[in-house]
Order: sequence, then C-alpha cells, then structure tokens
Amino acid sequence: MLPAGCSRRLLAELRDALDACAERQRQLERSLRVSRRLLRVWEPAETPALEPTPGPDTNEEARPPARTPSPQDLKELELLTQALEKAVRVRKGLSKAGGRDEAPSRKSRSIVSPATTASVPPRASGQAGRRASETKPPRGVRQTTVPAKGLPELRLLSVGDQTCKARGAQAAKPEPGLRDQQMAPSAAPQAPEAFTLKQKGILLRLPMAFRKAASQNSRLWAQLSSTETGDSMDATTTAKTQFLRKMQSGWPSSRLCAAEVEAEVGRLRKACSLLRQRMGEELTADPVDWMQEYHCLLTLEGLQAIAGQCLHRLQELRAAVMEHQLAPWPEGRLPSAPSSCGGGADSIWSPQLLLYSSTQELQTLASLRLRVAMLDEQIHLEKVLMAELLPLVSTQEPLGPPWLALCRAVHSLLCEGDLKAARVTLKLF
Amino acid sequence: MWPQVGRRGPSREAQKAPALWRLLFHVLSPRPADDAAALPAPEAQARLVKSALRSQGYPRPALVQLPEDGSQGSRELLLALSWLLARGPLLERLLAQIRVRLGDEMPVCECEVLASPGPPAPRVEADGCVDIRHLQWLMGKLRFGWRNLITSQQEHCALLGKVHSYTRGCHSDRSLGHLSVTEAELLRDPEGGRQLLRRLESENARLEAALEWRRRELVFWQWMDTVLDACPPEASQPTFLPRIPERGAGELELVARELQALQEELQAVVETRRAAWEARVGGWGPGWKATQRASEEAVRQELTALQRAWERGGGLAQPHGPHRLVRSEAGTLGGPGLRATEVIKALRSQEACLEAALRQLQGQCRQELARLVGALPGFIWILPPGC
Repeated sequence: MLPAGCSRRLLAELRDALDACAERQRQLERSLRVSRRLLRVWEPAETPALEPTPGPDTNEEARPPARTPSPQDLKELELLTQALEKAVRVRKGLSKAGGRDEAPSRKSRSIVSPATTASVPPRASGQAGRRASETKPPRGVRQTTVPAKGLPELRLLSVGDQTCKARGAQAAKPEPGLRDQQMAPSAAPQAPEAFTLKQKGILLRLPMAFRKAASQNSRLWAQLSSTETGDSMDATTTAKTQFLRKMQSGWPSSRLCAAEVEAEVGRLRKACSLLRQRMGEELTADPVDWMQEYHCLLTLEGLQAIAGQCLHRLQELRAAVMEHQLAPWPEGRLPSAPSSCGGGADSIWSPQLLLYSSTQELQTLASLRLRVAMLDEQIHLEKVLMAELLPLVSTQEPLGPPWLALCRAVHSLLCEGDLKAARVTLKLF
Repeated sequence: MWPQVGRRGPSREAQKAPALWRLLFHVLSPRPADDAAALPAPEAQARLVKSALRSQGYPRPALVQLPEDGSQGSRELLLALSWLLARGPLLERLLAQIRVRLGDEMPVCECEVLASPGPPAPRVEADGCVDIRHLQWLMGKLRFGWRNLITSQQEHCALLGKVHSYTRGCHSDRSLGHLSVTEAELLRDPEGGRQLLRRLESENARLEAALEWRRRELVFWQWMDTVLDACPPEASQPTFLPRIPERGAGELELVARELQALQEELQAVVETRRAAWEARVGGWGPGWKATQRASEEAVRQELTALQRAWERGGGLAQPHGPHRLVRSEAGTLGGPGLRATEVIKALRSQEACLEAALRQLQGQCRQELARLVGALPGFIWILPPGC
C-alpha cells in the first residue's frame, strides 16, 4: 500500500486524466450522433414546412427534382412509360382471368417497400416524389381508380438495378391512368419522399435568410478583426495606456502575478525539453574532425550555462511565490501538458480554413493530433509517477514480497508504457 | 448575459455592484458557464473574482477590501473591469468564445482543449492509502479510453468526409464549396435551423454593438480617467495570505527537478570532455586561436536562436486554433487556408519529439530501478521481453 499523501496525489492525477478523456469522448459521441443521423434517411419534418419565402427544408428538397427533371430522369421516365404500356397491353390480353385480389399485391408491395427503403441506400431515381412505405396516399389513390384490382405500389427503380427491377416488374401492374396522375410533376401535394444525403445532397440549398445572416456575420467579424490605424484608434490606445499607468502608480507591485509565474514556468519547461533534445543531438553526433569536436564541446558548455540560468530564474520564481503567496485561479485546472503553441495569433477571431483532400488525410490529421495530446499526457504522468514512486522504492524496506511486488508494479507503470498502444489501424467506415 | 456594451455609456454607478460582480465573474471564469446550476453563490463568485484579479496582478488593493455581499464598491469594480478591458482584447476574446460555429471545426493544436476542461467531476477525496495495483488498473483504463477515443475520432472523420463530399457544390460561398454538418442539420431539422438563425442574428447584433463600442471607446477612457482621479487616495497595502494550492506549486517543483537533473548531466559530460580536450590541445600554438573564436561565435549564435524558441513573444509560428474543415479534391481550391498536409507534417515532427522524450524518460526509470534492485545482493532483475 502506498502512503496516504502519495496515494492522494497520484489518484488525483490519474482521475483528472480519466475525466478529461471521458469529456472528450462525450463531445465526440455528441458529434457522432448528429453526423450519423444526417447520413441516414431523413424523417419528414414534424411541422408542415409550408412557409413563404424563407422556407427551407423538405419542400425545397422535394421540389427541385420535379421542377427540373434532369435529362436522365426524362429518359428513365420514357423507358418506364414504354414498359408500362407494354405491360398494360399484355394484361389486356390476359384480362378475363380472375381478378387479382389484394393480398398478393399488398404482399408484393410490402416486399418491395421494405426492401427498398430499408436497404441502404434505397434505390430511387430522381423522379417526382413518391414514397414506398407510407400507406395512406397510395391507398387512397388506389381506391379511387382501381377498386377491384390491387394496385401495388410501384417503387421506381433505377434503370440499372437488376434485382429490384425484377421484383418490381413482378409487382407492378398499374393502370395507365393512375400512372399518368402519379407522373404529373408535383401538381398534387406529394408526400415527401425518403431523402438521403448521399442521393440528393447535391440538391440542397441553404435558405436565403440564413445565407444573408451568415455573410453579414463574416463581414462583421472581418471588420472587428481588422486593426484599423487612424487618429481615433491611436488616441484610444494612448488613453488606455495612460489609464493603466495611472492604475499602477503608487503601488510598487512585485511585478509578478500568479498568471505570469505560471506562464514563465511553462516557458521554462519548454526550455528544459528543448535543451535536453539538443543535448541528445550533440551527444549522438559523431565529430569528423577536431573542429566539430570543439564545436560540440562549446555547445554542450553553452547548454549547461543556459540550463543554469533557467534554474536560477526558476528559483527566483519559487522565492517570489513563497514570499507573496501568489495563488492562481483556485478552480482552474492547470493544463497537464505543455502547450507547444506560444499563445497563438489572437488577432484573428473567426476560424480560418483547413483544406483537406481525402477522408484518409483527415483521419490521419485527427489521429495525429490526438496522439500528440496523448503523448503529452503520458509524459506528464510519467514524470509525476517517477517523482512519487521511485523514492518509495528506494526508501522502503527491501525485504520480502511486498517490496518485490512494488518493484514489479513500478516497473510496469513506468517502463512499460506501450508507445505503440494507440497506433491506429484505419478502419474503413 | 453579456450586456450590449455599446449602449453603456457614462452610467449611474449606484446599486450596480452585484451586477458588476456577476459580470466580472463571467468574464474571468476559465470556461464560459453555460448552466446556471453550476454557478456558485454570489459571495463565492465575489471571492473568486478577487482571487482571479489578484492572480492576474490587479494593482489596487481596494478591491480586496470590498464586501462580498455587493452592498458597495461599484466604482472599484468598474475600475477593475476597465483594467481588464485596457490590458487586452477582452471584448473580442469573449465574443469569439461564444461565437456561433457554422462550420465543422477541428483544432490543429491542443491549447483550446486544455483551456476549457469539462466540469470537474464531483469527487470524494479518499483519504486512505491505495494499493499500487489500483493505479495500474487506472492507467490501463486510461490507455483503453484513449484507444476508444481514437477509434471514435476515425469514425467521425469518415462521416464528416461523407457529408462534405455528398454536398459539394451546394454552398453559396464558393470558397467553401460544400455544406458543413451544422448547415446540413439546419436543413434537416427546420426548427433547429430557425434556432440557429436566431442565434446568428443575435450574434450579428452583438458584433454591431461591439463595433459601435469601438467607435465610441475614447469617450469611455476619458471618463474612466476622471473616475480614477475621483478615487480617494489609498492609505495602506493590506496583506493577504491565502493558501497556495498544492497543484500550482507542484508544477514549479517538477520543472525545477527536471532542470536540476539536466544541469547535472550536462555538468558531468562537459567536465570529462573539457578535460580530454585540454589534454589534447595543451601543446597547440596560438595559431588556432582565430578558429577557436570563430567556433565560439557560431555556437553563441546557434544557442541564441535556440533560446528564442521559448522566450516570451518568440516561438515558432505553429498553426493554432480551430479551423473550419473544407474538403477540396487535391488542388481545386487554391484559395487561402491551411493545408492538411502541412499540419500533418508539423504534427508528425511533434510526435517524434514527444516519443523520443517519453522513451528517454522510460529509459531513465529503467536504469534507476535496475540500480536500486541491483544494489541488493541475491536479486536478479529479469526484464520482460521487448523492454
């Protein structure tokens, strides 16, 4: 068992790390839910989206296909009309044979509909809105025109799809009159058909009101970000500086506040890692001649001097903290990893663009970013664990199983961190 | 929450104190508090404000002496707010924090993620001792969590890629080319879309107010000058001794220990090398002094450049902050924007550095453990394979 203070500190660190990881996961899950839902079939809107001008949504989606049938659509329509006319001719030939009762047709319809709507993606051509799974409108239509014969719902199939076509050909024996009615582009209010992003994403258009607001938004942000120079701006800056000076005057402050101390400690930590990295480079270098050797020696001596300066500065900071009891924001969580960015360009407030060319590239970028964060955290934890556990090993009674168990555990914690553990094999989703 | 700053001019100061405490709390809070349930009580807010201002170096002691119930002190609070406004782009920063995000954003660095952690989970601090196996278990849980995270992230990127490619050509803004998830959502869900539009419009109003404020700002500062002059002169500097949180001191100690270790290593290396060098060079004549000086100069320059990497204001221009993702088949969009390939390159070199650092630390531990165990007679240290 570990001593109480050590336990508390290590538990706190590990739990912090676990909390941060869980929070990231939560946020990611939220985004995943939204994205998954977007890529499924879109449910029809709850509220009837019959709005005047700024009406976005399903009406807009369903209408463009009807208003602007593409040449391919027209061709398909043509082929379909021919096929159906032929079917009618054939049926007339067989017509006096007993009426088809509703059951098989309903069954065939129900075979066709789930097969097509449940399959991902449903095979639908760009025809004017028609939906397979909703029962009301077709049934109503059916009853008015063909009371006796079952009118199976025809699910329009893309011309190239063999399997569905075969099934559809079996089931489809519609009346030409009804067909005409159904083909009439958007005269009657049509039930919005099942919409998927994959099929019809290209047809989406953002509503006008949104577009206006968005462009105004980016214009305003640009204005806000621009650093205008002019008399008024200069006067304002001068006034601000003067105000700050007046606020400060009379109070010989220690010039060191907790935020600055924190920032400097961060810089010194970065310094330490850069110095160490450079030292590693010099030690592994293989000098060819005495010039290089001398260069190497001087570099190492220089690094030693700088390390000494940094240490001195740190000791000054430590003294200042002790003396002035500088306390940082009490509830803030100190970043557990050194931020390699220097604070960034905060004069640009609206996000810039990041261009990627393929999903693989995006995945690589994202996983690298996470990996860097993970390594940061691992390094921090390693340091903390080293600081707490190694002294324990050296000071505890080196006799008996408990100490051996401790050694083994410490070794596994400190030395066996699998660097490759989180290497990702890209799964194709 | 954020008042229309542009409309606030020289206002009446009376009874403004509680509102100002609240305002300062929200401004200084490390993360924007969304839910009212998590807000501390007004007295606690006031205490936190005092502490935060002091940690940023607020120069006037009068603030600390203010009562926390909000009964007085509006002038001092106004001075504090002005001080924050004068020091940095406070307004812009706050506006950016609550900005409506229309695109799919991905941060290219880790700063923002760390700066706004989630709410700290309510934790019962166990005072007891733990078994080291519990720590091992927690560590394993953490590694598993990271693995899951990376997998989820991969899926998310795949989905984003799909949404972007399915909607190419839809966006009115040619430089973007396709819809983002947010924009597609607003089309799928009209009610949500209306809410988004409302939020966007109110943000536009805020931005216009901010621009208006910019135009009138000089008047404000002239007025604050008079407010400051009207303050009674302060008599004494109070002393305040709060508890230093353990964590803050710990960071400093860690770095101190690292630097100490580094310096000792360097010292050892340098001593041996210098001695060896002097032995070799001892017999050399003065002829090579010039080359010696040249080397010294070269090294000095190199090390100065190295130092700049961590000094204040210096630092490599790394890509920073959240970026809006835009999918463009290679080369089609030649417009402004960061290229993913560049970011990947930067991240790979960072990764290599960090891996090296971690390996080095692990090696150090291994050596230390071997030393500790090896010092005892009768024990043989057998390492698991792969170590």
